[in-house]
Amino acid sequence: MNLEELLYAETHEWVHVVEDNGEKIATVGISAFAVEQLTDLVFMELPQVGTAVEAGNEFGEVESVKAVSPLYSPVSGEIVETNLSLPDNLQTLGEDPYEAGWIIKIKLANEFDLSSLLDHESYQRQCAEEG
Amino acid sequence: MRNRQATKLIFELSQDGRRGAKMPTCDVPRQDVSSLLPAAALSASPPPLPEVAEPDVVRHFTNLSTLNMSVDTHFYPLGSCTMKYNSKRNERLAALPGFSDIHPYQPDETIQGLLQLLYELQEMLAEISGLPAVSLQPAAGAHGELTALMVAAAHFRELGEVRTKVLAPDSAHGTNPASARMAGFDFVTIKSNADGNVDLEDLQAKLDDEVAVFMITNPNTLGLFDCQVNEIANIIHAKGGLIYLDGANMNAILGIARPGDFGADMMHFNPHKTFSGPHGSGGPGAGPICVAEKLGDYLPLPVVTKHDACYRLDFDRAKSIGRVRSFFGNVGVLVRAYCYLRTHGAEGLQQVAENAVLNANYLLSQVKHMLPVPQGDRCMHEFIATASELKKKKGVTAMDLAKRLLDFGFHAPTVYFPLTIAECMMIEPTETESKETLDAFAETLFRITDETKECLQEAPHSTLISRPDEVQAARVPTLKWTPESVHVTDK
Amino acid sequence: MAYFFNTPEDQRKMLEAIGAASIEELFELVPPELRLDRPLQMPPALGEMELTQHMSELASTNSHAGEQACFLGAGSYDHFVPAVVDAIASRGEFFTSYTPYQPEVSQGNLQVMFEYQTMICQLTGMDVSNASLYDGGSAAAEAVLMAMSVTRRDKKVVTTASVHPEYRQILETYFEGSGVELVTVDTTDGATQMEQLVAAVDDQTACVLIQQPNFFGCLEDLQAVSEVAHEAGALSVVSFDPISLGLLKRPGDLGADIAIAEGQVLGTPMQYGGPYLGIMACRESFVRRLPGRIAGETVDRHGRRCWVLTLQTREQHIRREKATSNICTNQGLFALRAAIYLSLLGPRGLRDTAELCLQKTHYAASQFSEQERFSLPFSRPTFKEFVVRDRDRNIADLLASAREVGYLAGVPLKRWYPELHDCFLVAVTEKRTKSQIDGLIRSLTNSNTTTAVAHA
Repeated sequence: MNLEELLYAETHEWVHVVEDNGEKIATVGISAFAVEQLTDLVFMELPQVGTAVEAGNEFGEVESVKAVSPLYSPVSGEIVETNLSLPDNLQTLGEDPYEAGWIIKIKLANEFDLSSLLDHESYQRQCAEEG
Repeated sequence: MRNRQATKLIFELSQDGRRGAKMPTCDVPRQDVSSLLPAAALSASPPPLPEVAEPDVVRHFTNLSTLNMSVDTHFYPLGSCTMKYNSKRNERLAALPGFSDIHPYQPDETIQGLLQLLYELQEMLAEISGLPAVSLQPAAGAHGELTALMVAAAHFRELGEVRTKVLAPDSAHGTNPASARMAGFDFVTIKSNADGNVDLEDLQAKLDDEVAVFMITNPNTLGLFDCQVNEIANIIHAKGGLIYLDGANMNAILGIARPGDFGADMMHFNPHKTFSGPHGSGGPGAGPICVAEKLGDYLPLPVVTKHDACYRLDFDRAKSIGRVRSFFGNVGVLVRAYCYLRTHGAEGLQQVAENAVLNANYLLSQVKHMLPVPQGDRCMHEFIATASELKKKKGVTAMDLAKRLLDFGFHAPTVYFPLTIAECMMIEPTETESKETLDAFAETLFRITDETKECLQEAPHSTLISRPDEVQAARVPTLKWTPESVHVTDK
Repeated sequence: MAYFFNTPEDQRKMLEAIGAASIEELFELVPPELRLDRPLQMPPALGEMELTQHMSELASTNSHAGEQACFLGAGSYDHFVPAVVDAIASRGEFFTSYTPYQPEVSQGNLQVMFEYQTMICQLTGMDVSNASLYDGGSAAAEAVLMAMSVTRRDKKVVTTASVHPEYRQILETYFEGSGVELVTVDTTDGATQMEQLVAAVDDQTACVLIQQPNFFGCLEDLQAVSEVAHEAGALSVVSFDPISLGLLKRPGDLGADIAIAEGQVLGTPMQYGGPYLGIMACRESFVRRLPGRIAGETVDRHGRRCWVLTLQTREQHIRREKATSNICTNQGLFALRAAIYLSLLGPRGLRDTAELCLQKTHYAASQFSEQERFSLPFSRPTFKEFVVRDRDRNIADLLASAREVGYLAGVPLKRWYPELHDCFLVAVTEKRTKSQIDGLIRSLTNSNTTTAVAHA
């Protein structure tokens, strides 16, 4: 995955959009920076396939030992696939956050949401400020 | 002295055929069990509990007790938990059969002494809080919060007002938002300002006609008395809302100020903190609540009333929210609270607050040279020091300091609460500690802030175990022993 | 005051270090207009001796189970508590330590929690247990809320009239204004009416809350109730008597999804209703919805077995308004007592205790049934308590006259069941002797209240 091709939410989720049979499908995960900040993750709850999500709303949670962090959907649409092997292999999020560590795929309801996301460079700047 | 041989679980001591208790022989004509109970209901064998002899049980649990720090053995400045001395006399008195051996459904006329005690306790709590109506029923502080919020909901239902929100500052105990949700309210967080008090602008911005209750902890979890409390109460009252006071920190203001006088409409006490009930590795607590007169009719059933010289339980209260627990309440804890209050009297209670505040301020004055205290030079019963500079300087955290304190025989302060201050340690010495102990604690803290990063990150060094792997515990939860459990290694 | 250390000299030195002129100055944070301008109006302080005399006087006016033979039950029971339980549980290292936030110096408490959780699983046949809740009543409420969360059904809960009336009252209080419908199924012959239950449970129902043995002491058909719940996708929540499991099949073996109990019977004195012990265990798949503290096994940095509080993200101090419950304190001291009690009894001691309760209860019931004045309204099998009907319908005087000769004879049922206004509930634990049972019957039949029939 070329990180510079990704878009990012201020809440540290990344999005990669591909076109599949005329449908825009967004793959969503969380950035390496976020995984590091969250420290050792111990639990994740995935949403049901078929659930409708709105940009900026919660779609799931990840837990470390002493914190719960909501996952926010960067885009609106319908969840078409979830990474079922992830909850049992949370280390994947740290080892390979942008490929094997993807979390959900969303069939986009619109492309408008994408325009409010950050590009790689802006997101890097945000991380530098937070770190 | 710790017994290094004692490393097993009670289940690993079990041997078939051993037993620690023998029951008397049956003195009534014995019938075949299968003639008394249907076969489908009977188990083939009793539950697979451990089989151990009485001396096994005594040695096992006694040895386990030696693995704990406790108030009886160590300085325990666990902020927000008020770990004061637990009086032995109260234990003996609460264990009198006339208190401990009473069945909850005994008629009122057979327990006049107990009802008198409970009635007088209601009166004393009303006096200390400045709120006249009291329920002793809630089982713990959080349960008191929930009960009071139900009382508030009943009040607004009666008024015909739709109020859906409960507000509390971001420094509040987690029980506040959790209780609000359980009572059916939406919860809204109010920011704290730079001083650690409620941010009035944020409050004003989030306040509307749908706000039922504002929950405030005062003194707050930063150890400060929020002097805006009266102003906040006026703002909330003007909008028709109620003020709930989380009484977790009452130790600082006993006899000094009363929540009912500074604007609260409802509050709970934590008798196991403020009135020195046993903490028992997490409980029992009790959560008596006191409310303003206009809310008294909604309190749970029953309350103790007095007619002439006769005490009774009053169930005849049409507006009551009902019951929040079975039986009367955590009476054993309440008896101890009564003993505590009778031991101190008015002057003694005020001295509790004065010495708690003196000890906290003294310790603050000794600690602030090593760790910054963001809220300044003064505090109430507890204060917050932060290790964030230390973290920047050499990469050690508040948790590292906390763990290292254990090596020197001090229980750690509360760390990482409240959530609003980075790398915080919340230190509450209580009034039942000496200057020498506080000095020794401060000296130790001074010494360890100078230690190497490696030493601190590896701490504790001298305890039974080093830091447990909490990630493994949460990822692969092992919540019970099974015969197949692997005994990893002996300690 | 005996609990303070600070002498005037200490105070002077401390104030000097603080840089304050007086203790009064330390309270500057509290605006003068918000302060109490008078001393509290409290009774005078008492020294230990005076307090002891005062408390002894108050205690002496209470009748208690040590001087009256106690046949009262209905959720709180006069079971025997071995001396070891008191001796160990009163050790300061258990008594005066708090929630094990620092596991390195709390391994004793954590191991006790872990052992307690294991024993509760052994006792109930359930997969996981928490480290305790407040008491049986609040555990019932928490279990129902948990079932609503697990099933994502928040419209309807079904219970039965044979569940402890106060547990049901708690649910009513909790549900007030929430839109949850609490349906209470009637009983017939002292147990749940199955046809009515089947009709009440539907695909909106979160759970069925049932008690075994039930409030009247009668056995329910737990398996059948669980099946009714499961067929509708609802959970079976069972409130059980821990002592009864010395003889009866375990909730986990009869389809229970969540098992709760009043744990007072496991080594805690009656103390007028609390503090007690809320027991709660459930299926493994619900563990992240389980309220309360949980201890788990792990290893330290050197690979040594040890214990920590775990799955804490369920709890209020982390999840705040999204927590599984608002519960913060637990009943650690009584979980400890239960663990000691169950260790002492072991499987055979528990079976013997249960059987003594059963035999004595049946002896007492048969003695009642032989008296002309009394009848037993329910014919179902009972374990350690049963309902007695007074044909003369004068229960208040009857029970009062028994008290005069040393018997706490039973709990009148009229308060909760108007139709049982002429009935009372008699509990017989292993502590009651044949001579006490015979004496009870004598005291009730010799009562000169037999002619006081008020209404037909």
